Amino acid sequence: MSKRVWNHPEVPADEAGTQVWRSPAELEGSPLFQDWLHREFPEKNGELTEEERELSRRNFVKLMGASSALAGLGLASCRRPESYIVPFTQAPEWVIPGKALYYATTMPRPGGAVPLVATTFEGRPTKLEPNNEFGDASGTDAFTQASILDLYDPYRSKDVLNNGKKSSRFELDAALKELSSQAGKVGFVFGEDDSPTRNRLVGELKKKFPGAKAYRYEALESHASEEVLGQGVRMVVDFAKADRILSFDCDFTSLDQVGPVKPFFDRRQGGSHDKDKLYAHQIKAEKMNRLYQVEAAYSLTGGVADHRLRTAPSQIVKIAAGVAAALNVSVPGFSPEMLSAEEQKWVAECAKDLQSKKGKSVVLAGNRQSKELHELVAAINSALGNIGPDKPASLVQTGGKDSAGLTELVADIKAGALDTLVLLTPSNPVYDSPADVDFKALLGKVKTSIHWGTRTNATAYATTWHVPAAHYLESWGDAKTAKGTHALIQPLILPLYNGVGELELLNSFLNEGALQLGDEQVPAAGYDEIRKTFEAAVGKDAAAWAQALQVGFVDASYDEAAAPAVSANPGESLQAAAPTKDALDVIFAPDASVWDGRFIDNSWMQEAPDPISKLTWDNVAYISPKTAKALGISSDLVKLEPVNNVAGIDTKNAPRPEIGEGEKAKAPQIDVQIGDKVLKIPVLVSFGLAENTLVLPVGYGQAADDGRSGAIKFDSSQPTVGLVGLNTGFNVYPLREMAALWTVSGAKVSNNSGRYPVALTQEHHAMYGRALALEISTDTVETKGHGSKDFKTQLKKVKKQGMDSHMPKNHSIYKPNDTEGKPLISDEIHQWAMAIDLNTCMGCNACLVACQSENNIPVVGKEQVAKGREMHWIRMDRYYAATPEGDEDNPEMIPQPVACQQCELAPCEVVCPVNATVHTEEGLNAMAYNRCIGTRYCANNCPYKARRFNFFDYNKRNPLIEKNLYKGPWGEKQEGDARHLQRNPNVSVRMRGVMEKCTYCVQRLENSKIKQKQITRKKSLGVASTGVEISNEDLRIKVDSVKVACQDACPAGAITFGNLLDEKKAAVVRAKDSQRNYDLLNYIGTLPRTSYLARVKNPNPAMPDAKSVGQATINIH
Amino acid sequence: MANFFPRWSNFTPFKLAICLGALAFGVTFVVAVYVNPSSLRVGYQPTQPIPYSHEIHVNQLGMDCRYCHSFVEHGSHANVPSANVCWNCHGPNKVQSDNPKLSPLYAAMGIDQKTGAEIPAVPLEWVRVHKSPDYVYFNHSAHVNRGVSCQSCHGDVDEMKVVHHEEPLSMGWCLDCHRAPEEHLRPIEEVTNLDYDVEEYLKANPIKDAEGNAIETQTEFGKFLKAHWNVKPKESCAACHR
Repeated sequence: MSKRVWNHPEVPADEAGTQVWRSPAELEGSPLFQDWLHREFPEKNGELTEEERELSRRNFVKLMGASSALAGLGLASCRRPESYIVPFTQAPEWVIPGKALYYATTMPRPGGAVPLVATTFEGRPTKLEPNNEFGDASGTDAFTQASILDLYDPYRSKDVLNNGKKSSRFELDAALKELSSQAGKVGFVFGEDDSPTRNRLVGELKKKFPGAKAYRYEALESHASEEVLGQGVRMVVDFAKADRILSFDCDFTSLDQVGPVKPFFDRRQGGSHDKDKLYAHQIKAEKMNRLYQVEAAYSLTGGVADHRLRTAPSQIVKIAAGVAAALNVSVPGFSPEMLSAEEQKWVAECAKDLQSKKGKSVVLAGNRQSKELHELVAAINSALGNIGPDKPASLVQTGGKDSAGLTELVADIKAGALDTLVLLTPSNPVYDSPADVDFKALLGKVKTSIHWGTRTNATAYATTWHVPAAHYLESWGDAKTAKGTHALIQPLILPLYNGVGELELLNSFLNEGALQLGDEQVPAAGYDEIRKTFEAAVGKDAAAWAQALQVGFVDASYDEAAAPAVSANPGESLQAAAPTKDALDVIFAPDASVWDGRFIDNSWMQEAPDPISKLTWDNVAYISPKTAKALGISSDLVKLEPVNNVAGIDTKNAPRPEIGEGEKAKAPQIDVQIGDKVLKIPVLVSFGLAENTLVLPVGYGQAADDGRSGAIKFDSSQPTVGLVGLNTGFNVYPLREMAALWTVSGAKVSNNSGRYPVALTQEHHAMYGRALALEISTDTVETKGHGSKDFKTQLKKVKKQGMDSHMPKNHSIYKPNDTEGKPLISDEIHQWAMAIDLNTCMGCNACLVACQSENNIPVVGKEQVAKGREMHWIRMDRYYAATPEGDEDNPEMIPQPVACQQCELAPCEVVCPVNATVHTEEGLNAMAYNRCIGTRYCANNCPYKARRFNFFDYNKRNPLIEKNLYKGPWGEKQEGDARHLQRNPNVSVRMRGVMEKCTYCVQRLENSKIKQKQITRKKSLGVASTGVEISNEDLRIKVDSVKVACQDACPAGAITFGNLLDEKKAAVVRAKDSQRNYDLLNYIGTLPRTSYLARVKNPNPAMPDAKSVGQATINIH
Repeated sequence: MANFFPRWSNFTPFKLAICLGALAFGVTFVVAVYVNPSSLRVGYQPTQPIPYSHEIHVNQLGMDCRYCHSFVEHGSHANVPSANVCWNCHGPNKVQSDNPKLSPLYAAMGIDQKTGAEIPAVPLEWVRVHKSPDYVYFNHSAHVNRGVSCQSCHGDVDEMKVVHHEEPLSMGWCLDCHRAPEEHLRPIEEVTNLDYDVEEYLKANPIKDAEGNAIETQTEFGKFLKAHWNVKPKESCAACHR
């Protein structure tokens, strides 16, 4: 059954329109993509397969037989089962059963800690939110949101290991005692995060053990910039002051942060995001910042950029040298001929623009870039006067000044300078350190090695001792934010799996090896230690301490570091030959799902589609379409015109190509050869990727038992991953060597006949209609047939872009009144609505994971994702767009988060046969799960494809065991799994056969309304309640006081939510009054409550590509 | 051709139809009457580990509901008191401290009732009487703060020696009140007064409606309070189901 198809008018024949596409198949008009478009699920994915059907039917009969027999037997005991209420014996302070309690804590991160507010229910942390008391709060990213799931991971390390064998705390204590009594040469390897207390303890340890040394190691943190700026010195950017930003492969909005990112997005809003006046003003072009991005592969920052130059990784230094030279910085060895004519123009105009904003601009180099590039960037910044107080960039001295990096660690171990090695880094050096370091062999050179970590990873089995670590939500600690605020880490629960905190382990070395762990009465040693640090900094005032714990941080800042005199000296790097198809450039990239591999067992991250490629549960190699074609694998990847050759005659559009993105999607595998090492890995095309460049995301392939060659073999006696991480992806780390950690040149690719199934979501939930994610430009745009339009005209015409320019207004047949003619949406106190600003949305998945965490959304596993059955309530659509003048190989990238639009005239409601989805008085499209019988008519009728169906009982049956879902009652259950402790008690856990979708976090709305209702009692205090008058205003919750989960998590502040009846006081109303506001698929007349704000690009008119920026949808009919 | 069917079989189909019809009606009737919350739940009166009597504590001693169910105005749950609340009065050398009926309380506090020695604590397990389904998010504070008394849902608890399920708590029953709250609203200060009588209250505190007529019945009084307090109970699904 196919639904009624809206007849979209054809594009006029004389128009070479802008192309907008989600996937190669859409670009080509593949029939497989049409399947995703026309149907809720492509043919067969929405139905049970033969195998499922047969089993289910048989099971059904068996079950019915068995259950009726049992019912007969059991009638005698047909009584209500007793359930019990077990109250506390000694009620703890503050705990109110059923009510959330919030605590401030902090997640330590290499780029600066993230202060958080954790929600707990009866002592059980369930959700993390950014601590908005913190001035630099920039939401949270997906990793932070997902970190709470790691706390409950049932595969977390639980036992002390001795040489890979299970040992006991008793033996560990003995070993620690012995170690701490000898004045040994101890090396401590920490992560790249900065903690004042840890630094203090390291100082004490160095005093106690003269041979003690500290190191920092994380697989994806480079020390190249420190080599230029000084050890432990970091550049921190205040984006509020930066009018122009030039970034050399620095993904500063998501994976490569250099300071709070919110101010950048506020500046993106051209004054409309001024503090406390969100959307109070219209956007002004002159107040907007401008971002130039030079990169090889698309990053989310590249997607936001106004001008993006695509260049191979080995050539980036040349572009930087070009910019430096244009700004009169001396660059020995550079000549303009090194750049192509277009690059020369790009560089010249970019430099001119930076020059015009001297002291108000900033130039950034990516963390994983070469020392030469960092030198160039430092030289450019100082030439532009961008560094210093009141300037956009400042250099700060972090606590890392006393600890060295991996190079020194390796040298010290080889030189025998260390007897004992204590690994406290969150990375996994045996797995993720460069291949030529051979960390496992190095561990053999120290007498004792201790690994502390939450996972029993490869390093845990290779060291003498493995100590299970307490999660950060289980331990006391402190950390420094990007600008040096002293943030406190407060435990929310006692260690679930006997974990030991980092500070306790360090403390034991100072304390004769005694591990002082906490219990219900006495806090762990970490508490005393951080309090000591606090008292040294602030004083012994107990009230100040209590206050600091309550807000979660103490104001502090890093010391400014003196800017070193840097001269650019790129030397030989300028001579790097451009890559060719026989000698490709390779980038070892961080993975947006597992980072360096530490999130491999986090099922939320694994299932969150990669923000760029939309791949789940795996990593693959990415390559540009043209290079793929040149390498001879293109016919399998991008068939620009599906052609079938029959007896020498080409017939167009004949057979369906084999690669589509459904269940059967299989990516071709290639052999990547670097030096003498070969990796067999699947490959996908990626748009906007530099030619002759291969991107290899790291972190996957940690264990596999399915015989794949590209991953470490799984050893069930020493499991390094849990069920989540098993058989996911390919291990790229063995290709990396010390000399070429981040990029390498000269790789060869040979085509391989093998294929590998991939679960890609980029085509899932494709919507009809053109011009869905709208975009305008601050520059004047030439339109087809409508003359040129300046920014103001474009703003005015946003609502008339695309289909709405010529479609007559649709009159809905659905009536907004009840049978008596009264309006159904009748509430006079609250009318909820949301606005999503595409100008600030970068597409980072934070909302998606936050929603999963708040709303008990299950994970479905790779097999089910491939069928389009992922359950995310808010999905992140990603479009590529190229104008006819633009470059199809370097298209724009526009993300668009889509959840239920809460239509006032909802097409889903009228087709539900059981009234399971109905409207509330407050404008919500509510779902009553217990009424739903699973006809899926509603999902079939949803033009936004925002509804998700539980094909299986994903909560009860473990979807990660192969075919487990199809085994019905005989499948393995996961009830009582520790991860269920994370569930939000205020949201129903849905079962098989039930439809679900975004509810606007109705549980939060109801809670705040109920809280507001206490006003009746409060007003009655001391007076007769019969004389009390309660007005609508009394019952209305405070303006903008309720935040939905996606909104709270968004690092860019792209989502506003609120009450329409608050009028202009509510940010959401002001946003909806913005000229940029538009409704998705407005012409079908569903009157959605969620609206979008068009994206504004701010191109430099002098740039060569200016005419193709910000015009993704302007010429679309 | 012989007659296959004897003469008496002429009425068999008719009789069968009547019998089956009666059976079907009977089954439907029984299910309709007995398989619903008002039959399945009302009257449920489990034995509790401690034979706690609300009658003694509320009626005879005059304790307020909120002494034990302390969070009813703040949280969704009307909490069952933690053992230390009972302990306030029933601790060693206090009220009824040697009564063997209190031994589960002493066990919960980890104290041997006879010797006073510390023993491993065994938490109290009260048997749950009122239970809404998992997909229903009933919130006590939303009701008691808006003038719905404990009595409306739990009955005359002050007269119960052993608590039993008084009302069906079915969805239809909830909606009856959500559609006509005036039958149940009372002054906020009387919410936990289980001896409340609307007519006596109105005699003691005469209230006039907009036209100046004295209010005399619950319905009139309820309508008065509903209007003054802006009480508009929701009837849409999301009010209780999330």
